Amino acid sequence: MAELKTLNHHYKDMWVFPDAEDLAGLPAKATSLGKTRLLLWVTLILTVLGVVGFVMRASADGLSNYEPWGYYMAAFSFVFMVTAPAPLVSVAFRLIRSHWRRPLTRIAEIFALVGIVNFVLYIPLMLMIPEIANPNEIGHHSLDIRRTLWIQVPWGAPHFWETAAMFSLPLMSCLILLLSSTPDMSASIQYVTGAKKKLYIFLAGYWKGSKRQWLVMQAAIGALGGLYFLTLPFVQFLISTDLGMSLIAGWKDSIFPAIYTLMGFQTSLAAILIVLYVFRKWGGYERFIGASPFWSASKILLGLSLLWIYHMFAFFITFWYGRMEVEQNILNYLFVDSWFWIFILNALGSWLIPFGILVWNPVRRADWGAPLAGVFVLFGALMFNVRTFVGAFNAGREQIYDISITVVPPAVAPDIWDLFMLIGVIGLAGLVYLIGLKIFPVMNIWEIKEGAMYQKMGRLFRGNYLVLAKPE
Amino acid sequence: MAIKTVLGLFQDANQAADAGDAVKETGVSENDIDFLTDCPYPEGAFGEREEHIKLFLFPFIGGLLGFVGGIMVTSMTQMAYPLITGGKPILSLPPMAVVMYEGTMLGAILFTVLGVLFESRLPHKMTEAYDERVSQGLIGVLVSTEEGKEQEINDVLSKSGAVDTKIA
Amino acid sequence: MQEGRILPPEQINKDLLNSIMSTPKWYWPAVGICSFIVLIAATVVAYMINKGLGITGLNRPVMWGFFITNFVFWIGISHAGVMLSAILRLAKAEWRRPASRAAEVLTIFSLMTAMTMPIIHTGRPWRSLYWFFPYDFARGIFPNIRSPLVWDPSAILTYLTSSVLFVFIALIPDFAILRDNTTGLKKIIYTKLAMGWQGNARQWKLQIVAGILLSALILPVFVSVHSIVSWDFGMAVSVKAWHSTVFAPYFVVGAVHSGVSAVIFVLILLRQAYGWHDYIRREHVEALCRLLIVVSTGWFYYFVMEIIFGIYGREADEVAIRTLQFTIYPWNYIMIIFIVTTYFLPIFLWSRKVWRRNLLIVSIACISVNIGMWLERYILFIPGQINKQVFTFTWANYTPSLFEGIIVLGTFALVTLLLLLFSKVMPLIPLYDIKEGDILKTEVQIGRRTVPATFRED
Repeated sequence: MAELKTLNHHYKDMWVFPDAEDLAGLPAKATSLGKTRLLLWVTLILTVLGVVGFVMRASADGLSNYEPWGYYMAAFSFVFMVTAPAPLVSVAFRLIRSHWRRPLTRIAEIFALVGIVNFVLYIPLMLMIPEIANPNEIGHHSLDIRRTLWIQVPWGAPHFWETAAMFSLPLMSCLILLLSSTPDMSASIQYVTGAKKKLYIFLAGYWKGSKRQWLVMQAAIGALGGLYFLTLPFVQFLISTDLGMSLIAGWKDSIFPAIYTLMGFQTSLAAILIVLYVFRKWGGYERFIGASPFWSASKILLGLSLLWIYHMFAFFITFWYGRMEVEQNILNYLFVDSWFWIFILNALGSWLIPFGILVWNPVRRADWGAPLAGVFVLFGALMFNVRTFVGAFNAGREQIYDISITVVPPAVAPDIWDLFMLIGVIGLAGLVYLIGLKIFPVMNIWEIKEGAMYQKMGRLFRGNYLVLAKPE
Repeated sequence: MAIKTVLGLFQDANQAADAGDAVKETGVSENDIDFLTDCPYPEGAFGEREEHIKLFLFPFIGGLLGFVGGIMVTSMTQMAYPLITGGKPILSLPPMAVVMYEGTMLGAILFTVLGVLFESRLPHKMTEAYDERVSQGLIGVLVSTEEGKEQEINDVLSKSGAVDTKIA
Repeated sequence: MQEGRILPPEQINKDLLNSIMSTPKWYWPAVGICSFIVLIAATVVAYMINKGLGITGLNRPVMWGFFITNFVFWIGISHAGVMLSAILRLAKAEWRRPASRAAEVLTIFSLMTAMTMPIIHTGRPWRSLYWFFPYDFARGIFPNIRSPLVWDPSAILTYLTSSVLFVFIALIPDFAILRDNTTGLKKIIYTKLAMGWQGNARQWKLQIVAGILLSALILPVFVSVHSIVSWDFGMAVSVKAWHSTVFAPYFVVGAVHSGVSAVIFVLILLRQAYGWHDYIRREHVEALCRLLIVVSTGWFYYFVMEIIFGIYGREADEVAIRTLQFTIYPWNYIMIIFIVTTYFLPIFLWSRKVWRRNLLIVSIACISVNIGMWLERYILFIPGQINKQVFTFTWANYTPSLFEGIIVLGTFALVTLLLLLFSKVMPLIPLYDIKEGDILKTEVQIGRRTVPATFRED
C-alpha cells in the first residue's frame, strides 16, 4: 500500500488499495465465512429460549389480550427498527456515489433476510391488536372509535393493509439482495461446493456480465431502492402508530413516526458498522476495509444522534409547554415518572454517549470509534422500544377508548418469559443473519473491484494524495 | 539584526517547490519560508513545513462562556422579575435550554472567528515583500532572512526560475 | 466536476470580478426599480406606524396575517445558505463551489428582511427593544424567556451573526484579490478589509479548517432557528392546527426546500446576467435539483404527517379547521395550488435529466416551489385563527389589505436590492474556491476511457 507523503496524518489504513492478487482471491474468501459454529449455537439457543418464552406466554395469556405481550412487541420493534432500514442504507450510499460504501453494502443487504423474520414475528401482533370500534363502550368517556390513523376505518384496516405493507418490505429487500449478489455468486461458483454450488448456479447461472446485464441490474436496484424508500417510512408509521401511539389514549404526536424512522436509520447504520468492524478486525478483511467507511459513516451517525435529541426535544417541549392535563400525563408516563430511568438509559444510549464519543475528530477517524458509538446506539434503541411499546401495551386496556389517559400507569418490569422472548427475538435475528452470511458472499465483490479502478494514490507537486475518479 | 524578506514569483508550482528546496540548501530554516498563493493548495504540495493550529480550543472556550452567559441571562432575569406565565415554573428548564443553547452556539462561533483571525495572524501590517501578481496566479516564495543575506537568496530564487523577485 | 474547463487564474479573476469592476447596462435600472419599490414599501410602513395596524386586514381573531407569513417565508429562504455551504462542504461535494457564496449572502439578506417583519408588526417598533433586550429599562421588568417570541430573536440574531462572520471570514482572501486589483479609495477600503492577507499556507489551512469548523457549528444553529420560529405556533394550544409536535422538523425541511429553490433561481439569474456560463454550469443546477427531489420528498412526508395527525385526534375543532382548509373556498383552491406548486409540479419537472438541465424549466420549478411555500405558510397560519375556539362569536375572515401586499412586495425588492448592491462590492462566487477546484482536477485512464477525477487530501 502506498504511503502518504503529505503532511496530513491519517489513521493507519485510512484508504486501502487491494491489488490484483487480493481481488483475485476475494470470491473464495467472501464465500467461506470461517469459524462461526459457536455463534451459531449461541443464537440457536437464544432462539429456542425465545420460542419457549412465547409458548409459555401464549398458553398462559392467549393471543387475544395484548397487555401481557409488551416485551414481545418491544423486541419485535427493536429488531424491525434495526434491520428493516439496512438495505436502504446500502441503496442510499450507492445513490450518492460515495466510494467508501463499497465494503459495507453487502453487509447491509443481508439484513433483508431478517426482514422475513420480522414478518413472521409480526403475525401474532396482528391477532392481538384491539378493535378500532368500541361496540361494548369500554372506558370512562368512551369514544365510538378509538383514536387511530385509520380515521374512518376503511375496509381491511388495519390488518390487511398492514400485513400487505409488512410483506412488501422483505419482498423488495430480498430482491435487492438477490440482484446485488448475482454477479458475486456467479464469480464464486467455482469456489463453492455442494448445495451452495447448486444454489449459486440456480440463482446466478445466467449471469454473463454483459454491459446490458450490468445496466439492467443497477437500474433494477435503483428502482427497487426507490420503492423501498417510499414504503419503509410508511410501514414504520403504521407500526409505531397502530401498535404504539394509539394504545395510549390522548397521545397525539405527529413527530413520533419521524422519530421512529430516524432511529431506524441510526440503529441500522450502527449495526452495519459493528459488523463491518468485526470483519475488518477479526475476519481478515483489512485489505478491503479501510478506516474511511468508519470515518465517513461516523459523521452521519453523529448527525443522526443529534437529530434524535432534536426530535425528542421538539416533541417534549410542545407537550410540556401548554400544561394541558392530557399531555402532562403522557409526559409523566413515558418520560418523567413511570418510565423515567428507562428514558434516561434511552437518552444516554441514543444521544449523549454516541455524541460524546463521536465529537472527537481523532475518534471519528479511527476504525473503532463509530462501532463503539454504535453499540450504545443499539442499547439506547432497545430502551426506547421497551419504554414506548411496553408502555403502550400496559397503559390500560380500559383507557384506549378514552379521550385521554387520566391515571398515569406504573412501569412494568419483565418476567422470565418476557426476558426469554426478548433475547430470543434478538437471537433469532442474529441466527438468520449468520445463515445469510453463510449463504451469500459477505463482501460486495463487484463493487470492491469497481472501486479498485476508481481509487488510487496520485502525486500532485510534492504531495501524495488520494485520487477519486467520478465516472458519472 | 534586522530581518529582510525576499519574494520570488513563479509560474509553476513544481518550480516554486524546487526553489524552496534550493533556499533550504543555503541554510535557511523551513520556518522562514512561506509559499504565497491565490488559492489553497493541498497541504504538503510544496513540501513546506506542517502548520500546527490549535483552532479547536476556541469553540470550546467560547461555547463554555456562551453557556454560562445563557444560564445567567435566563435565570437572573427571571428571578429579578418572577412572573408565573402559563403555569410554568419561574426557572423552567426547557425554555431556558433553548436560550442557553443559542448562547452556547453564539459563543462558540464568535470565539472560533476570533481564533481564525488570531491563528492567521490577522490583522497584519504588510511589511514583508509582496507582489500583486500573486492574485493573478503566480506563486510567491517568501523567504525571511537576516540583513545582508538577502541578495544571496534573491540570486537563488532567480536561478530557480523566478519570473521576478522583490526585496523588502 | 466533469463539464468545466480549467481556466487560467487571471481569467477567473476577470470573469468573477466583472460585477465589481464594470457595470452592465441592466444594473442601474434594476437597482432603480428595486429602490423605488422599497421606498414605496417604506412609505407604507411609515404610514402604518402613524395610522396604526388598522390599515391592514388584521383584526380579531386573525392577529397574524401577511406579515407573519412573510416573516416565516424569509426565515425559510435563509436556510439555503447553510444547507448548500455547510452541509455540502462537510460532505466534500465539489459542486458546491459556485453556489456557496450566493447562498450565504442570500441567507444574510433574507434574515435581515425577515427580522423587519415582526418589528413593524408590533405597530410601535421602538418598543420591541424593551420587550426583547434583557435590561431593566423600567419598573424591574425583564423579558419573559418562557415565551417562544423571546427565543426567536435569540435564535435569529445568533444565526445572523454567525452567517455574517462565516461570510466575512470566507471573503478575506477575495478582499485580498480586490486589494491587488483596484486603485484609489477602493484599494484603501479593500486593503483594510483584507487585514494584511498574504495567502501563505497557514492562512489557507485556517481558511479550510475554519470553513469546516464553522460549517459544523452553524448547522445546529440553522436547525434551531426555524424550529424556534415554528414553536411560535407549535406552543400555542388555543389555535388548533398549530399545536403539533412535528412543526419543528417540518418547518426546517420546508425552509431547506424553499431556500435551495431560491438559490438555484438566483444562480440561474447570475449566470445569465453576468455571463458566468463557465462557473455556474448545467451540471451544478442538475445536482441541486437532484438534492431537491430528496428534500421535497422529505418535506412531503412531514406535511402528510401534519395533516394526518391533525385529523387523528378527531377533535371537532381541529377537524373543522382541516375541513376549512380542504373544502371551503378560497382555502380549498389555495390548498390545491399549494400542494401542486410545492411538490407535484416541481417533482415532475425535476424527474428527467434533460429537464433538470434546462434552465428555463428549472426556473419555473423553483419559482413554483417558492409560490407554494409562501402559500403553505399562509394556509397554515390563517385558517386556524379564523375559526379560533372558544369564542365563536369572534369568527371572521381575513382579507389582506393593499398596504400589506405592498410591504410584502417591498421585502422581495429589498432582498433583490441588497443582493445587487452586494454584487457591486464583493464577488458572489468565491474566487479561491473555483481556483482550488481547478487545481484538484485530474484524470484517470481506465481502458479507452479517460475518467475525470479529483485529488483529495482526506
